[in-house]
Amino acid sequence: MRITFPHIGNAYIAVKAMLDPLGVDYVVPPKCNKRTLSLATKYSPEGVCIPFKLNLGNMIEAVELGADHILNVTGHGTCRMGYYFKVQEQILRDMGYDVTMMLTGLSEHKLRGFLNLLRSVSNNAPWSKIISSFTFGIAKMTALDDMEILANNMRAFEIKKGTITPIYRKSLRAIDDASDYRALKDAVKEYGEEMSGVEVIPDYKPLKILVVGEIYVVLDPFANMDVEMELGKLGVVTKRSLYLSRWVKKGLFFNPMGIDQWRDVHKAAMPYLKRDIGGDGWETVGEKVISTGHYDGMVHLAPFTCMPEGTAQCIMPSTKEDLPVLAIYCDEQTSKAGMITRLEAFTDMIAMKKAGCLSQ
Amino acid sequence: MSCKVGIPRALLYYKYFPMWKAFLEKLGAEIIVSENTNQKLILQGASLVVSDTCLPVKVFIGHVLSLSDKCDKLLIPVVRSTSEKVYNCSRFLALPDLARAVVPGVPPILEIEFDYSRGKSYLYRQIYSLGKNFTINPFKIKAAALYAWETHQRYHEITAQQHLTRLEAIDLIHNGKSITIKETKNDGLTIGIAGHPYVLHDEQVSHNLIKRLKAAGVNILTPEMAPEAPDSNGNGHTQFAGLAKNYWESEEDVVGAGDWYTRIKVDGIIGIMAFACGPDSMMMSLVQRQAHSANIPFMSLTVEEHTAEAGIVTRIEAFLDMIHRARRRNEQCV
Ligand code: SF4
Ligand code: SF4
Repeated sequence: MRITFPHIGNAYIAVKAMLDPLGVDYVVPPKCNKRTLSLATKYSPEGVCIPFKLNLGNMIEAVELGADHILNVTGHGTCRMGYYFKVQEQILRDMGYDVTMMLTGLSEHKLRGFLNLLRSVSNNAPWSKIISSFTFGIAKMTALDDMEILANNMRAFEIKKGTITPIYRKSLRAIDDASDYRALKDAVKEYGEEMSGVEVIPDYKPLKILVVGEIYVVLDPFANMDVEMELGKLGVVTKRSLYLSRWVKKGLFFNPMGIDQWRDVHKAAMPYLKRDIGGDGWETVGEKVISTGHYDGMVHLAPFTCMPEGTAQCIMPSTKEDLPVLAIYCDEQTSKAGMITRLEAFTDMIAMKKAGCLSQ
Repeated sequence: MSCKVGIPRALLYYKYFPMWKAFLEKLGAEIIVSENTNQKLILQGASLVVSDTCLPVKVFIGHVLSLSDKCDKLLIPVVRSTSEKVYNCSRFLALPDLARAVVPGVPPILEIEFDYSRGKSYLYRQIYSLGKNFTINPFKIKAAALYAWETHQRYHEITAQQHLTRLEAIDLIHNGKSITIKETKNDGLTIGIAGHPYVLHDEQVSHNLIKRLKAAGVNILTPEMAPEAPDSNGNGHTQFAGLAKNYWESEEDVVGAGDWYTRIKVDGIIGIMAFACGPDSMMMSLVQRQAHSANIPFMSLTVEEHTAEAGIVTRIEAFLDMIHRARRRNEQCV
């Protein structure tokens, strides 16, 4: 049995960290690249959303490297994502690959389901070991997020453009290589300090933009064409509504205890959207409402034909909170150059708006 | 003066109209249904939402717009789920909020939510909250609800038993119009159509697919004609043997129907889907695969607001030709 799992931004590093101590045989799919995308587009049904396609692309490339078991999520009321596996399985079968999907129902089984899944791939390792591997994975996930937050913060301030990104990339590698907590801590410290020590523009007051949208495209720089990095190059500080480590901690721990981990956001969305519509659409609307006044603008990442994000996009212009929103479609058709032009125009616009407010 | 309640002739209309009408009329409301879909209405609806919205929702918004100055209130229920762990497509869950956000001058919306997972008491509360708009007498509301439920069941029974399309059944129930089964020349081809009722039965959206097939002498089967098999809860549900556990409520019209067509070995299956329909983008491919492995010809038609009628016509003709040719070839072989 050889396992594989989709990339989803940096998440694969954390998954690796969970599988390594358990001695699981796995292959990491090659990083998303042009070939991944073209394979994905070729074999996916027409009109399906980009997370499906990239997941499938990852699977195909991993299966070519000998993977025969695929870790995947399912769920109810979670939009198309909950049903991906079924269609992907059929497609892989039709391509002549004999694969088995190993599933966990995120919406129902939460943490327990995930731990059970880990246990079944580890050939029933003792629970203590499962839990320690899981915790180590989460620690890496947190470290990855910390580095990303720092990088997206610092990039706007760097004097010499392009200094932060290589350090950030190195930090990812170091985190991936860390085999224990000590090494992990050292990596975070070393590269954290290196990034913080970069020469910055004095007294610079950057624009602040919140990046929201569907979870996969928010987390995956390949899918969102490095939108945060590009904004950083334009001198903008970005924050996201969603970081995987926090999402996992909140989602897996609080939610099973009956706590709505997004209560504030949902409450804020209420006047405009009264209920959960699957995916992340409800949260998107809520984030706009809550963040008005705290950010200069919002970038909304939506997979093309995404149902919940499309609905959010229709509803958002009607809110009385008037945070400027730029919608970016994520799809194999979208050109990065086009996106960058739009980002420039958007940041110019909000900068002018901000200046106008200040002079009043 | 009685309250004028507008019902958009779109989306859930095809599934629930007789039930809603029965309920509201029992409570003394006057029902106003929007006109038949036309191209102008589609384009107006489309102009109010983002372009990658599915066609049926654009059509729905067009209908809401056309009703907005004609009624006092609009009925837009939210059907989240009617059986265990099967949910409706995301877009259905946002309809009232969407209408409020994008349609200028929209009248107050009567919105109630059906959600199986919240149990019966939630359902009853929702029904009462709707009924209270018309009467304060709870017994009257209960009587109306029972009557509505009966009507709904009758509607379903006659569609399945008499092999009627939804529109024919609505006509029969409300206008007492009996169906004259026109004896057209029938060359024995039976074609199953998989697709949502609001795509299939909206003649403007489907470019008269059903009429065209009937005119060509084909027997057609539509999803609502499928015999219902009771599921573990005793609810009627199309069977999903082998293909897929139902995941979306609305996909019964696609996977459920596709499954039935393959089991009874129709001569061909046409899958009609709307551009940008999320669930169909995945489910239709399952039906296609299933048809393929059962050696049943399959054609998929995708419609959007700018679909050219001529293109559809040519494709239907080509598909029928192909089936005929294959048939002749088979007969010669025997
Ligand atoms: S939320 Fe959007 S991108 Fe995610 S599965 Fe649903 S439609 Fe696809
Ligand atoms: S099922 Fe498809 S066509 Fe129907 S509302 Fe959802 S996306 Fe639109």
